[in-house]
Amino acid sequence: MRTPALIAAVLILAGRSATAADACLTCHQGLGDKPSALWAHDVHARHGVSCAGCHGGNPAAEDMERAMSRDAGFVGKPSGDAISAMCARCHADSSRMASLGAHIRTDQFALLQQSVHGRLALDGKQRIVQCTACHGVHGILPVADPGSPVSPLRVVALCASCHSDAKYIRTYNPALPVDQLEKYRTSVHGSRNAAGDPRVAQCVSCHGNHGILSARDVRSSVYPTNIPLTCARCHANAALMASYGIPADQYAQYAASVHGVALLVKKDLGAPACNSCHGNHGAAPPGVESISQVCGTCHALNADLFAKSPHKSAFDAGGLPECETCHGKHDIAPATAAMLGTGGGSICTRCHGDGDPGFMAAAAMKRLADSLAASDSAARALVEEAEQKGMEIAEARFRLRDARQAALEARTTVHAFDEPRFAAVVGKGLAVTSAVADEAARSVAEYYFRRIGLGVATLIITLLAVSLYLFIRRLERRQAAGRGGDAGFPFMKEDTHT
Amino acid sequence: MSARWHKLYGWLDERVDIDELVRFMGKKYVPVHRHSIWYYFGGVTLFLFIIQVMTGILLLLYYKGSEQLAFESIQFIMSKVQFGWLVRSIHSWSANLFILSAVVHMFSVYFERSYRKPREITWLTGMLMLFLGLGFGFSGYLLPWNELAYFATKVGTDIAGVVPLLGKPLMLFLRGGDEVTGATLSRFFGFHVAVFPGLFTVLLVIHLLLVQRQGMSEPQGLEEGESRQTMPFFPNFMLRDILLWLIVLNVLAILAVFFPWELGRKADPFASAPAGIHPEWYFLFMFQSLKYIPSRVLVVDGEVLGIGLFGAAGLAWLLIPFWDRKSARGIRNRTISYIGIGVVVYILLFTILGWLS
Repeated sequence: MRTPALIAAVLILAGRSATAADACLTCHQGLGDKPSALWAHDVHARHGVSCAGCHGGNPAAEDMERAMSRDAGFVGKPSGDAISAMCARCHADSSRMASLGAHIRTDQFALLQQSVHGRLALDGKQRIVQCTACHGVHGILPVADPGSPVSPLRVVALCASCHSDAKYIRTYNPALPVDQLEKYRTSVHGSRNAAGDPRVAQCVSCHGNHGILSARDVRSSVYPTNIPLTCARCHANAALMASYGIPADQYAQYAASVHGVALLVKKDLGAPACNSCHGNHGAAPPGVESISQVCGTCHALNADLFAKSPHKSAFDAGGLPECETCHGKHDIAPATAAMLGTGGGSICTRCHGDGDPGFMAAAAMKRLADSLAASDSAARALVEEAEQKGMEIAEARFRLRDARQAALEARTTVHAFDEPRFAAVVGKGLAVTSAVADEAARSVAEYYFRRIGLGVATLIITLLAVSLYLFIRRLERRQAAGRGGDAGFPFMKEDTHT
Repeated sequence: MSARWHKLYGWLDERVDIDELVRFMGKKYVPVHRHSIWYYFGGVTLFLFIIQVMTGILLLLYYKGSEQLAFESIQFIMSKVQFGWLVRSIHSWSANLFILSAVVHMFSVYFERSYRKPREITWLTGMLMLFLGLGFGFSGYLLPWNELAYFATKVGTDIAGVVPLLGKPLMLFLRGGDEVTGATLSRFFGFHVAVFPGLFTVLLVIHLLLVQRQGMSEPQGLEEGESRQTMPFFPNFMLRDILLWLIVLNVLAILAVFFPWELGRKADPFASAPAGIHPEWYFLFMFQSLKYIPSRVLVVDGEVLGIGLFGAAGLAWLLIPFWDRKSARGIRNRTISYIGIGVVVYILLFTILGWLS
């Protein structure tokens, strides 16, 4: 008898105490609804946040009318922007977060508002995404918790719930692809993620989370000039990469390469970033056989010439990656004339030995390239000399562009490894440089001709002036001797009218 | 040789009675004194004007007065047309020497008080020709449509726009719109080759007729006492004139060959103004003065004040024969000399400052 009475007393006290703590939860748990069930696991519940924290009302009141009275501050179910604003009341307040023992950033709300997701939704009344769209509502878990929809292994599906929905996405941006998840699953990152590796890159690793910006926004982590550093956050992390058995020096090599300098230093957006060769959502290293195709997306002519060249079958047979064999990959240096031929720095001699036809062709092509370079410099020097002499030679200077163009064309034609074809292109350049040099030489000759001409003209004018001076003196002497300084012209018939 | 000249002279005389003309010209005398040298600057200015007309006509054969083609046509003249470089260079150098010579001529006339009665109209026409000469310079400067000329014209017409009331319409009239564009080039070309030459020719004819009619003025100081020496205008003075012209021609040729007039870069209205733009040297003293005037002087805008002062000074200078009553009565007026020296020193000083800045 005493024991059941004791149990009853404990239950009553516990019930009172629970009611006193949060009558909302007690009541809703009694109803057995989903929010109260989820709330039991919610990170907020663990940190002492009550239902009234978001919904308002009086959690101490046992009477439902009083507890959910507007006078008690009950707001019900927030909707639209009020949701995020409600979250921001705590999450944008660093002191409040600290008092709850949560050491997380407090700029999420501000970032979300500035992000691409913070734009106005179709109805124009609220922003596209509220906090709850990604984090859930009553069962919010820490990001690191595998159960959270924003945890590394689940976030991909979460993003895809909108971004793979073509009908939905096109209402905001019809040009935005919707196959990111599909591509991601084919990537190294995607397959590892699917296999349960939370360390590999997923959506937020590259795009960020609350402050996601359009890839066209220069501040975005996936804007072309920012991509290499975004990838390097993981790929330059030696400890992390060691666990996958891949090197961590790609960024350092790339940054010093012709592509890296063009993109990162010269800010040339046409230059390739990591994703240009590896893909972005479907990132994977290009296979040996597809390297020339990948490089060929930009270097189309070179790739085309190479594919038709005798080297193609030889490289295929040797299992050599096409472009990479000569140019390298991440550390691609600017192509120089020294790479051609048989001298120091030659790449041809790596495979071609002295005396074989390839060796001879390489030597001949190098001679041709050198002759074009020498002819171009000579023409340039003559043009500069003519300009320094003050001659108008803008047209010849302009034509030098054709010579530069021919040199570029020759450099491309190298990839055909066809000596006569190369000679024809070089010949075109030589014709231009020769014509320019002729014109510049004529200008320089004209410069000297002008000086000689001036000398002759000056001499004639001076002789005329001296003769005139002597004539005046003779005239005035005659005048003084003849008629006391009176007027008179030497050829005048003096006796006619006087 | 001499006999052959006599024969030719006789042949001509038989047909057109050249003897009479020579005798008529022989009756005109030029005073000879220690300031006679200044008489020659009028002739030199005339010679340079003739060169301007001749080289200008030659340039006109190839020049194209449009925004798209002006620069290229001058490039063509300088690189492809036979002696085009020489003609263009002489035109540019001669233009500058013309202004210089005209200024020297004007100051010599001023200091010798040669503007006094009865030569007031000669002075007026001369001054108007000098102003037209500056107009020739300003309009011609833009015609190559290069960067420097474009921005200098922009600044120059901006300054014109500051003049109260008349300024804005004047600027719009000069530019043919709000900005310096192809329309400005077209009208500057029109002024340069049609309007100004027409006006100039009329003034020149009056000026020369008056000089022939009234003869050379003698400096004031020589009028009382001093033995007067003279020289026949023809042939003595004229031959000396021609001798000086030959020397000037030689100087021009040397300048044109050794210091060919640069063309620079084509004007780009969307480019920012290049550093160090400045007007031609003969506008430099005014340009530099405007820089020194504070943006506001009491209640008057500094630029307006500067332009007003220059305008008033120019007008006073133009009308000097009418207010220098002392000189007109033959009394030595030292104030005129002091003003003249002050103006010369001022112009030289500010031109040098402008050049150095």
